[in-house]
Amino acid sequence: MRTPGKRERAEKQEEEVPSAGGTIASSSDLKAGDRVVYPKQGVYRVTGLEQKDIAGQRLEFVKMTREEDGATVLVPLGKVATIGLRRVASAEDIEGVFHYLGASYDDPELDWKVRHRDNVERLIAGGVLGVAEVVKGLHSLSRLRPLPAKERELYDSSRHLLVNEISVALGVPAVIAEDYIDYALMPPAGVKLPLKTPPTPVELKGPPWKRKKPAAAEDEDDLGLAELGIDLGALEGAAVGESEDSEEGESEGEKPAEEGSEEQAAVPVKVAPAKVAPPKAPATVKAAKPAKPATAPKPVPAAKKPAPPPRAAPPAKKAAPPPAKKAAPPARKAPPPAKKPAPKKAAPAKKPAKPAKGKKK
Amino acid sequence: MIRIVTLAPFDEGDIAFLSKTLYRSFGIGTEHQGDRALPRKAELPDGRFDALKLLDDAPPVRAYADDKVVYLTDVELANPKGPLGEPPAWGHALQGGERALVSTFRFRPRGVTEASIEVYRRRLARECIHFIGHLWDLHHCYDARCAMHPSWSPSLPEDPEFELDSFCRDKSERRIRLAKT
Repeated sequence: MRTPGKRERAEKQEEEVPSAGGTIASSSDLKAGDRVVYPKQGVYRVTGLEQKDIAGQRLEFVKMTREEDGATVLVPLGKVATIGLRRVASAEDIEGVFHYLGASYDDPELDWKVRHRDNVERLIAGGVLGVAEVVKGLHSLSRLRPLPAKERELYDSSRHLLVNEISVALGVPAVIAEDYIDYALMPPAGVKLPLKTPPTPVELKGPPWKRKKPAAAEDEDDLGLAELGIDLGALEGAAVGESEDSEEGESEGEKPAEEGSEEQAAVPVKVAPAKVAPPKAPATVKAAKPAKPATAPKPVPAAKKPAPPPRAAPPAKKAAPPPAKKAAPPARKAPPPAKKPAPKKAAPAKKPAKPAKGKKK
Repeated sequence: MIRIVTLAPFDEGDIAFLSKTLYRSFGIGTEHQGDRALPRKAELPDGRFDALKLLDDAPPVRAYADDKVVYLTDVELANPKGPLGEPPAWGHALQGGERALVSTFRFRPRGVTEASIEVYRRRLARECIHFIGHLWDLHHCYDARCAMHPSWSPSLPEDPEFELDSFCRDKSERRIRLAKT
């Protein structure tokens, strides 16, 4: 399958940004004095609209000032909906965050690539609970092993964002907000936190290559049936048989080879060889290779055109390639055996040579 | 300059040890600014003192723009109650602020033996470094060996063996950057 390029990924990601609670959908939702959270930036206060001439165009911006340091940001009106602006979390949301932080945490994600992608996505689109997820996840990981520099930075920045938002939402100084967070993350010895069921984090609908798929879906993708234009809905039964066959092919290498002769004729041979090759050891692969061509393509002709008789002739022609491939493996494998006997032949050859040397001497 | 103000009687030796340690830790001159009266306005009905209010009401001392003032007290402090309860208060300091408050109420008793006094002094210095760190805009740190680790954390050993003036690498670098600016 073709892997999407960076640009495509970015576009898809923008399109599929899931909405966390309080997301601002359009600029009309904003008015001067509103407090909003700019993902990965912090809490801003909207100061009003501003018009500017840029490159000969008159553009309108929402002007916002960061409460922490007074930095000003101008966001084009058209971009307001896409940058993930959201309202500052309510006190109820914040309470949920603390119950989430205080809850026991299952195994942190150990694959750093997945972890990094998910964390970045959560910071952008996960709302305040998404930020808490990042903090909690990295904090838990830091207890297992020291965080690498990049993740340490991410941890610090996400923690800073969380502290600021909690501080604004609860109306307490940042230091106190930080105390609350650490009290939940690292309660003092002997203290049992009054925890409730934590809220469910926003499900991230990021680009498909990020998400884990159910086993069945992965199998379908592996088969590449979509590329062949095969409707799986119509072939459900056949697909099951297919998978069973393939398993058999792997476990019982020789059987499929025998069966393969007739039915495999209709097989689009392209699919099978590619799949069989990787998993098997050389000895079994020989037998397995023919097995998959035989089974996998079967359903295809049956489903597309229910009339097998007219195809009887082409199968015969197409049948030729499979045998050829069958023949091919032996041919490929022939060389290795040839190598083995070689030393035997060489040995006798050398033996006579020695006496020859002796004769010379 | 770091200025130490005592809101309760403290041993001179303890203050001298603290001054030395703060100087070693931050590289800034440290001096004892004298004793002041504890502001009773901040007292709560249960006898504790509201940490935020106590710091607000703490008697002012003459200080210059970059100076940091540390108030030492021995009364029990209280933090505002949070969603999961009240975190124990060992002190208080506003991030980026100029004044910090440290209480010795939760420390182990000072005792009379050299060992217990040493433990007390080290803990006092550690807490002062922690809250002055907040004045330098430093957040808490998950590394128990860092001075910015939360004071109540179970990971923090009761008798700290770590060096008092040590921040973790990240906090240390950040502190240096801030100090330069």
